[in-house]
Amino acid sequence: MKFGGTSVATAARWRNILELAASRRAEGARVLIVVSALSGITDGLKQLCTHADSKRRSDAAAALADRHHALLAEMSLAVPDTLGTRLVDLADLAQAGAADLGELAWQARVQAHGELMSSALGAAFLSANGLPTTWVDARECLHSVALPNQNERTRLLSAMVEPHHDPALSAALAARGEVFITQGFIACDEAGRTVLLGRGGSDTSAAYFGALLAALRVEIWTDVAGMFSANPRQVAGARLLQRLDYEEAQEIASTGAKVLHPRCLSPLREPRVPLLIKDTNRPELEGTSIGPEVREHAPSIKAISARKGITLVSMESVGMWQQVGFLADVFDAFKRHGLSVDLIGSAETNVTVSLDPTENLLDSDAIAALAADLARVCRVKVIAPCAAITLVGRGMRSMLHKLSGVLAEFGQLRVHLISQSSNNLNITFVVDEDVVDDMLPRLHELLIGAGALRTDDSMVFGPSWQTLYGAGEPVLPAAAWWQGERLKLVQLADERTPRYVYHLPTVRAQARRVKSLRAVDRAHYAVKANTHPGILKVLAEEGFAFECVSPGELTAVSAAVPDNVPLLFTPNFAARRDFEAALQTRATITIDALHPIEHWGDMFTGRDIMLRVDLGRGLGHHDKVKTGGTGSKFGVPIEHLDRFLRLADAAGARVIGLHAHLGSGILDAAHWGEVYSQLASLAERIGTIRVLNIGGGLGVPSHPGETALDMAALDRVLTSVRQAYPQFELWMEPGRYLVADSGVLLAKVTQEKEKGAGMRYLGLDTGMNSLIRPALYDAWHEITNLSRYSEPATTMYQVVGPICESGDILGSDRRLPESKEDDVILVAQAGAYGAVMSSRYNLRDEADEVLLP
Amino acid sequence: MTDTLIDPRGSQRFRFVRHGFADGVAELVYAFDEGPELIERVTFPGAPAVPVEREAAFAAALRLLHLVAGVSYYKAGIPETIVVEGESLDEDSASMLNALYVHGLAEFAYRNRLDLRSRIAFPSERKAAARASAIGLPHRSLLPIGGGKDSVVAVEAVKSIGADATATWVGNSPLIAECAARTGLSTLNISRELAPGLFELNRLGAWNGHIPVTAINSVILIVAAVLYGYDSVVFANERSASVATLEYEGQEVNHQWSKGFGFEKTLHDYIHTHVAADLDYCSLLRPWSELAVTSAFARLGGAYFDVFSSCNRNFRILGPKPADRWCGQCPKCHFVFLALAPFMAKPRLVSIFGRNLLDDDALAGAFDALLEYKDHKPFECVGEGAEARAALASLAERPEWREDALVARFRREILPQLDRDELALEPWLKPGASHLVPARLVGALDALG
Repeated sequence: MKFGGTSVATAARWRNILELAASRRAEGARVLIVVSALSGITDGLKQLCTHADSKRRSDAAAALADRHHALLAEMSLAVPDTLGTRLVDLADLAQAGAADLGELAWQARVQAHGELMSSALGAAFLSANGLPTTWVDARECLHSVALPNQNERTRLLSAMVEPHHDPALSAALAARGEVFITQGFIACDEAGRTVLLGRGGSDTSAAYFGALLAALRVEIWTDVAGMFSANPRQVAGARLLQRLDYEEAQEIASTGAKVLHPRCLSPLREPRVPLLIKDTNRPELEGTSIGPEVREHAPSIKAISARKGITLVSMESVGMWQQVGFLADVFDAFKRHGLSVDLIGSAETNVTVSLDPTENLLDSDAIAALAADLARVCRVKVIAPCAAITLVGRGMRSMLHKLSGVLAEFGQLRVHLISQSSNNLNITFVVDEDVVDDMLPRLHELLIGAGALRTDDSMVFGPSWQTLYGAGEPVLPAAAWWQGERLKLVQLADERTPRYVYHLPTVRAQARRVKSLRAVDRAHYAVKANTHPGILKVLAEEGFAFECVSPGELTAVSAAVPDNVPLLFTPNFAARRDFEAALQTRATITIDALHPIEHWGDMFTGRDIMLRVDLGRGLGHHDKVKTGGTGSKFGVPIEHLDRFLRLADAAGARVIGLHAHLGSGILDAAHWGEVYSQLASLAERIGTIRVLNIGGGLGVPSHPGETALDMAALDRVLTSVRQAYPQFELWMEPGRYLVADSGVLLAKVTQEKEKGAGMRYLGLDTGMNSLIRPALYDAWHEITNLSRYSEPATTMYQVVGPICESGDILGSDRRLPESKEDDVILVAQAGAYGAVMSSRYNLRDEADEVLLP
Repeated sequence: MTDTLIDPRGSQRFRFVRHGFADGVAELVYAFDEGPELIERVTFPGAPAVPVEREAAFAAALRLLHLVAGVSYYKAGIPETIVVEGESLDEDSASMLNALYVHGLAEFAYRNRLDLRSRIAFPSERKAAARASAIGLPHRSLLPIGGGKDSVVAVEAVKSIGADATATWVGNSPLIAECAARTGLSTLNISRELAPGLFELNRLGAWNGHIPVTAINSVILIVAAVLYGYDSVVFANERSASVATLEYEGQEVNHQWSKGFGFEKTLHDYIHTHVAADLDYCSLLRPWSELAVTSAFARLGGAYFDVFSSCNRNFRILGPKPADRWCGQCPKCHFVFLALAPFMAKPRLVSIFGRNLLDDDALAGAFDALLEYKDHKPFECVGEGAEARAALASLAERPEWREDALVARFRREILPQLDRDELALEPWLKPGASHLVPARLVGALDALG
């Protein structure tokens, strides 16, 4: 069992160790505890080594000793002899300096004291608290080997051990007791000198001991439950990985996961000792178990990671074509300038390699010198800053066909290099660094949606980081309203299908969630999501204003809501006559192009107008719902802002507000803060602005297990920006968020069809003509057989409609009960962009709409 | 006096009503005609009592601040008449203020198609003003920090000669606060609160545009120097700030006029004669070009690489990403990227900005403007066109840069049209002659070479 620096730094944490070790002992196992130095001590010892002055070294040693005394006092323990000896040793070493031992050997001896002291202290604590524990000097067990590529520095400070099972040592230890404690990070060399194991040292020590003793398993106790399917700081929905094989785990550790050093897996592979990562504070969590390859699991991508700060060197030449030694010359240049190559991609006339961000790369002229050398033999381009996005999973090539959506995502970016190694464990894309932060969560989501990251395999994938460590109690998804209204819905379906049913209490509940955003002065309902008059009335009662994008919508809203409710007209590529119509209403007009103000400026004379700007990037759950960036037709680009303002001024119109809308289905609260603060910093240069409209796009989770948008967090983010810019009013215009969950589409099964082995189609009496979102956006809607609600879902169906289009699929790979003709099928979350986007394509009748009050 | 604000564009007179100082807060009061008072407040934290021997200097500095800070309000209406209530101005003061208002608002006038030269006339009377005397200010300096490369270079130069100094800034910018903390110097954060009525005036249709904010900040720091006891206020404005952006109807329009040498000299002399003979106002970087400053920054600025920003967007909410400090879209971002490139390892530079601005085709027009190729220099505090051309020409020779989209384009399209003799970097790295740096700090100038 290995415990790191923070796990051994306080008495409370040591009680934790005591409990965990005692429980393993109670299971009948003999326990060897490997500890790091108290947190901060190793750095302190390194610092000590830099002082030339003996007095300063001694002071530093005394300060470090005090840390241990303080912890002992907290444990109500006297200084044990073992620790006393170490403290004296350290004081002597500090005073004497490096002269006798030689600089490097002395440094190793000094730094080894962090672990020597913490383990001595731990032995005393555990023994005093009812778990007799024997202190073992790791240097008696772990012997380093000198490798040919090592110099004196690496031999002493980054040593390697090649451990083999040593039954004699096992027996000797067994004779000495049941529970042992020893040091991570240290070993000794053939000459008996103390050496250090370098980075990841204590984990590596634990692995060495595991191999040496052919342990039952190695447990790494740390502050997180294990490895995740992505870095939780970047992807809150990252899932705990409960089972990995050594190679996968090593790949994940090498490409980003910090929880385990990649070095510590190889010693365990040959003796097949499993390694378990566990959370010290949450021992009940399953953790990550790493062992030999298991074949029972479906191939799945296990993790996605990103490494930033990558520099690419692209070398182009016809000269390399079939020329012996060309690449050797090229790589020799990298070696000469001390740059180590990571990824390589090559074509007949181009070789591109990646370099990791080392100090040498960042702050010396190495890259300039390298480029100068290479320029003599080929055309060089240095591409930076880049990031490498790696997907890891055994059998990567067999999953490529599932990645089309993911590859489409990369299709919009500058992908500089793709690399896939022959071990078939990974595929790496090198892209511009600035896209990564936004992209990673989306890719993670896409991989789940594509069935490539099989989160439905609960053997492999545990809970999400958000669920385990997110703020507050994990919230179970509330039951959908329609589960309680099943009988009523079946009745309605028996009257007529296809049919939309809207649940007004759900609309009200969502409206109140939006109203809970105290930072928002005015919330508009973006009526394009659903223009049913009953829904408009309810939202007017809830105090919403309304946002319309066409004269037709303005008419529909005006007919349904009271005359004093504010309206906002936010069209895109609207014709002159549309503006003329809107100017006849009370709506505030938003303009999203130069053309109207440039050519029809006189229409806006004396009017207050809003300006929709494009902040230059888009977000959203699908390409077709992104509304920012040059690829999007919305908004005035920032570089035209000044021109717009001059034109507005010339026209005598007053620009009172700025509007931006990044896209739809966004589940991360921070994005609105960014939009808001970007708008505010633009607005503060324009004296007439008093309103900022940050648009809508509040996401509604659709997949099971997706986390809902945290409205309290959103309010905090908005409030923080608001405090910085109190002079502006804040508007929003959510649409889908208010109505999506309130609506369902009811249809009936018409027939079934089987094709090939196990491909079963379930036909409904409506499809993309009623609900086009799955075809248009790849949207995922939950599908349920209401007639057989209590029966187990046993059959995998492709749920399709009657339209003569191959894209007429409402849901693929859906597990439902065996379904029969005339069964009532419910398609959930159909309240937004359902009926409003329906068509009479194939001249099929449109679904009607029913309200449930 | 009425209580309601009206569109100041219709007003007849702009009035400097009064100013006062109590509990560390300076109150500066203005009004249009008989309209409501517009009160600006400048707060000096932990302000000590003003010692008797500095009282006259403090009063003079505070009055100067009232007159200079008025430019923010005056420009909202630019009425025909300027009225200074209370004691009258001498001719020197009036002509100094006339120059500041006319030149400092030149860009404002150009953008709004106005001619202010005939309007701006501070009233004065001929009188013999007593020359200010030395008031025994302690030998230490106020160093304004802007969060950008320039002030970092100035700070590091002053630190290198061991001079006593305090890092200071006006306003609450978290970015500047973080940079100031990195200097390791003592800090002084002065806050300034514009009259709330000004926002209201803007909504009512007031004139709006660029004002000479460096002049205002300079005089705030002059007040601070007398108040807390510093013998110098040392800015970090470089040579190129003196170069005009364009000429409009016979008048030079310079976006950075109040950072230029002309204003520095005027204010420096005015302070010596009207505030305190031993209070120096100068710019340490004055002899140096932008390129000399960026080259010094690449050498001295290592500790600031992850916190500084010269981007003009006001980042009030800071995040950890480069994009949270560098918008990548404004001329400042473009120029600073270009000017640092010849002096810094490429991977380091792109890690600071989070992207490679020279490999983005979409920015071709923006960089053309910096080069003064097909366009005039942008209205931003950026270097001279010739500097930008020299920097890009040097990158065109560098194998690690030459294939980047905009460098390759420069080589292909622009370079053949340029006179190669005028593209050398080295001349830009040599200091010019003029500066007003006092003897005590001249050593810091050398640290930059």
